Amino acid sequence: MMLLLFLIVSILISALIVLFKNKTLTRILTVAFALLLIWFTIFAWANLNSTELTYFTFDSTGVLLLSVLALLALPTIYHGFIYTRGDDAKKHSIYHASLVALMTFMSGAYMANTMTVLWIFVEATTLAVAVLIYHDRTEMALEATWKYVFICSTGIALAYLGILFLGFIYGRGDAPNLSFSSFAHVINNASPLYLKIAFVFVLVGFSTKMGLFPMHTVTIDAHSVAPPPISALISTTLMNVGFLAIFRVYTLFSSTSILPFMNHVLILAGLLSLTIAAGYMLKAKHLKRMLAYSSLENMGLVAIATGVGGAGYYAALLLIVLHSFTKSGLFYQMGQLSRVLHTFKLDECGRYMNLYPAGAMVLLTGMVCILAIPPSGIFISELMIFRGLVVNDQWFVLIATIVLLCFIIYAMSIRIMHITFSGPRIETDLVLPGKINPGETISQFVFFSIVIVMCFYQPPFLVDLINQSFALLPK
Amino acid sequence: MVNYLVVFFAVTLMYFSSADRLTTYIKLIGIQGLLLCGIAIFELKEVNTANLLFIVSETLIFKTIVLPYLLTRIIRRSGVTKVHRLAMPGFYLLIFSIFGLLISVILAKILINPFINTIYTAIALFTLFTGMLLIVTHKLIISHLIGFLIIENAVFMFSLAIGNEMPMMINVGILLDIFVGVLILGFFGLRLKPHTNELTMLKD
Repeated sequence: MMLLLFLIVSILISALIVLFKNKTLTRILTVAFALLLIWFTIFAWANLNSTELTYFTFDSTGVLLLSVLALLALPTIYHGFIYTRGDDAKKHSIYHASLVALMTFMSGAYMANTMTVLWIFVEATTLAVAVLIYHDRTEMALEATWKYVFICSTGIALAYLGILFLGFIYGRGDAPNLSFSSFAHVINNASPLYLKIAFVFVLVGFSTKMGLFPMHTVTIDAHSVAPPPISALISTTLMNVGFLAIFRVYTLFSSTSILPFMNHVLILAGLLSLTIAAGYMLKAKHLKRMLAYSSLENMGLVAIATGVGGAGYYAALLLIVLHSFTKSGLFYQMGQLSRVLHTFKLDECGRYMNLYPAGAMVLLTGMVCILAIPPSGIFISELMIFRGLVVNDQWFVLIATIVLLCFIIYAMSIRIMHITFSGPRIETDLVLPGKINPGETISQFVFFSIVIVMCFYQPPFLVDLINQSFALLPK
Repeated sequence: MVNYLVVFFAVTLMYFSSADRLTTYIKLIGIQGLLLCGIAIFELKEVNTANLLFIVSETLIFKTIVLPYLLTRIIRRSGVTKVHRLAMPGFYLLIFSIFGLLISVILAKILINPFINTIYTAIALFTLFTGMLLIVTHKLIISHLIGFLIIENAVFMFSLAIGNEMPMMINVGILLDIFVGVLILGFFGLRLKPHTNELTMLKD
């Protein structure tokens, strides 16, 4: 019943925000929603592995990702308040109502224990994100939203075809729905060909959300124009939704003979994602697009880690969590950078350390964290992936991954160093640099601190939860 | 009877490859909606009456009336009548389409399943192929929209194949219909310039 209460109250909050269009009331209601989400997460922790409303289960993977969302909720809302403070009441209310709806739909997707329910929530997130990407109402925003909705819809349709192929595996009257638990009973008798087709459709379809090759373009364009707090969510918790959908199907099929096939496909998708990310980051001219390609790189690593198996599963889930904290911190910083420099074009950015030292420190710390340079916790995750590749004798994948990561480290570090310490390549004196309160960087430093601490110490409750998440997978 | 409807559905798909007027495309989308409605009535014998009524009314209202109406509005607004920006000549499209049908039939034979009619699988795969072909070979946004609607019909056709066992799958497919009809066509179709082929403001 708690889940039902959470869903009803959240949708009610979203509706009230749109209905009253009052800025103060919107702020109160949005913060109330964040607190509700935190309370719901605590409830999910307390009721781990219990099922509610037939279609939802508080399983370890879902609770892990829900916890990440709950931790990001308040900072995202806070930075959203700053971003929208100049908007009129209507625009302000639509932004926050959509944000509340998006977080609610993502929570539903994390908890869904049935393929169709998961698909419905994923589809619903597209609706909410589309409104948020279109927030600035510019021609570019319209183009980005169109591309996002069109490619996501195609992806969703393809994912649904994958789900239908799962349905074909069932015999007449075998199961009334496609719940993961009921599917486990028939999976071993299923035709491997159907399973392979279903997996490929699900992987391609949900990679629109995960931001993985071949559907990665959808998120890159969205990042260029989306408000920075929304980019933070698209790059983290929304990508986690896509990962979860693929991971659930992977877990289901892992007991069948197609496990090696799935591993090969994931490693291939991961390597191609890394290649695309490295190629585009080397010629990046737009700061937010560069960060978007960095997300593609990290999702590529997650896919490789999952394909490696064994310790790779732990590495994949740890990377998902740490990437969420690091990338959201960097995107929050983009909001402040745009108010100081009034641009995201790399040629026009520069002298950030002089103009806004706190923000420059965020950029530098974030760069160390996201590039997996020690003491970043992501370093541990990548080290585990490399170890897994060595154990599996996958030397080609190992060498290719390391070489591509070197390109990415080079591409990102020279650009961030340039913004921080050098003058802009193209001088634009038309607008004076903005003044920002250094206090706005607190949330970013807190997240980076978590990522750095994780390099030395991973709390037992987190380790247990991650271990439970892949308990059903072969060791 | 249902097999005739499915074959007629395949004929409309072939016609997509040879047509070059947008109004023809819209008529074909409407006809496909009507055919899917007929297929649903004949095929879904084991579904309860209320659910069948819901499915039939959805195909009639959304696929046959609302979607063609919205597409017509978009075309009238933009003043574009012909698909004159093809990435390849129409003749090659037709050849590709025939090959697509052949491959779909072979795939359907490989994917033979005791619970599904093979002809459904073949035509659904061909529908998916035609939708993809339309998106890849046409440059106008409006053609991409129509390509997506065809893919969506493929999804609906697949869901009909297991509809008797799992009516919920059709209902979820309908959700996708409404999503597309209202959001993509209703909102973006009227705001974007559908005659444009240059969505290139955002690039690296």
